[in-house]
Amino acid sequence: MENQFRSYFESMPCFLTVQDRDFRIIDANNIFRECFGDYEGRFCYQVYKHRPEKCEDCPVDRTFRDGRAYHSDELVTTLDGRKVWVIVNTTPIRDESGNIIAVMEMSTDITEIKLLHKQLRESQERYRLLFEEVPCYISIQDKDLRIIDANRLHREAFGTSYGSKCYEVYKHRDGECQPCLVRQTFADGEIRTHEEVVTSRNDEQMNVLVCTAPIRNGDGEIEKVIEMSTDITQIRQLQDKLTSVGLLIGSISHGIKGLLNGLDGGIYLVNTGLKKDDRDRIDRGWEIALRNVDRIRTMVMDILYYAKDREPDWQNISASELVQDVCNIMKDKAEKLNINCTCDIADSIGEFEADPQAARALLTNLVENAIDACRIDTKKSDHKVQAALRGTSSHVVFEISDNGAGMDRETREKAFSLFFSSKGAGGTGLGLFISNKIAQAHGGKIIVESEENEGSKFIVELPRKRPEKLRKEKQS
Amino acid sequence: MDNNKHILVVDDEPDMVEWLTTFFNDHGYRTTFAYNGFEGFEKTLAEKPDLITLDITMDKESGIKMYRKLHDSEETNKIPVIIITGVSPELKGFIERRKQVNPPAGYFEKPVEKEKLLETVRKLIG
Repeated sequence: MENQFRSYFESMPCFLTVQDRDFRIIDANNIFRECFGDYEGRFCYQVYKHRPEKCEDCPVDRTFRDGRAYHSDELVTTLDGRKVWVIVNTTPIRDESGNIIAVMEMSTDITEIKLLHKQLRESQERYRLLFEEVPCYISIQDKDLRIIDANRLHREAFGTSYGSKCYEVYKHRDGECQPCLVRQTFADGEIRTHEEVVTSRNDEQMNVLVCTAPIRNGDGEIEKVIEMSTDITQIRQLQDKLTSVGLLIGSISHGIKGLLNGLDGGIYLVNTGLKKDDRDRIDRGWEIALRNVDRIRTMVMDILYYAKDREPDWQNISASELVQDVCNIMKDKAEKLNINCTCDIADSIGEFEADPQAARALLTNLVENAIDACRIDTKKSDHKVQAALRGTSSHVVFEISDNGAGMDRETREKAFSLFFSSKGAGGTGLGLFISNKIAQAHGGKIIVESEENEGSKFIVELPRKRPEKLRKEKQS
Repeated sequence: MDNNKHILVVDDEPDMVEWLTTFFNDHGYRTTFAYNGFEGFEKTLAEKPDLITLDITMDKESGIKMYRKLHDSEETNKIPVIIITGVSPELKGFIERRKQVNPPAGYFEKPVEKEKLLETVRKLIG
């Protein structure tokens, strides 16, 4: 029987020792001997820890004192210097009278478990770091769409407080979004992506690409959903810019083709007029050529204005001088086409705050359009363009009216749209878009009244003083 | 030189009308003109021209609509039509693929190469 226990003792998959009250090892199993060598006459602390005296906190000592079992984690060193983490369990060995005569110490190698623990901890820290520092907004949500965790960027951008609802934080809304990606991922466990517009704590709009993925528990049930949002605002802005640049190039090429055609026509008339010595033909051809050169000039100015997106150069300018200037430039052009151009300026309108170059471009565009509308109108023979100027205490009001071709409803409604032109090959769809942009940049607006075959009136209202909002925008 | 063949020029751009009519006159053709599709079709019925040059983007009534009307009318569907347009080249393919109408007798994009235009006109009506 004793042999049988001996064999169990020897083959236990841990280090087994029996120690006396002086912590001298009096027995040990095979594995212990293999790893720590001969123990005869040596003390536990010498063998296990290569130290000259007893450890401060010794489980064997404690068992000797009160007869109870103890356990502790210890780092021991094998004969060949290998460090081994062990979990130590002690048990008293008693004689027939119940006195403790020895303590059995069982040390199980947990080095690998310790290593795994360490790796797990490091990996968790790494993931936390990744979670915190990744350059996108991450939140983890429960089934009620409450945010139970969020990364640094998320907290900073949205002022996230745990427990608040996703839609409150992201969209400042009272109710759930429809559809809700997080809900869908909870329902079927699928990864989903969608583009959304969200609002930061500073009320800035952001375009984000949202991706949701399920987080499952040990039983495979979806407990939470992780929502990752990448800020793609700049990409979207760039894309919008590129799209409009593409449209612009298409529109410009189209416009240039039409203008080249006009120039070709003018040149043909001039050339053949010269050959035939036909003065009238030369004049007509020259007119066509000049008109198309003028149009190219306007188009290039429009493109430059559009491309630059410039800040107004604010100055106090005289409203009546501005209108007079524009009228003088246009009068010649109108007269050549037999269009009567008049200028009606009320007394003492005074000054207003504006970018002189932009304001002139705005009015010139409108007057040119008015002349064009008369030129292409074949229904009437008597055409006129009128520029009028009125003033109120807060605004200056310019009115450019004509009795030309007029616009139908669709044309009127699209008049200010970028790249919309009713002029066929002759227009780029930039002129009125830019006029409107200039009016808005001055805190003003343009109103259109037009009837097909009757004519059009463009009313431009600009504030006398630059609005506070524009002043602040500039400062910021 | 003067063969007295009649060309109707339909375009909403007066400069273009002036040029084309002068150009055709210089080469012996008689011309009339219209500034939109509606007027163009009326004049076609009234004047029975030998050939029509037609712009596409015009106010009031587009060239496409007029082209369709010319095709649908017994009185006008034999008159050759040359489309002269600033619209993108895709339009040519689009018109040619339509089953409802025959392809146009000629197709020119602005700016027009006038020698080629004249060559096409001569081939069609002499």
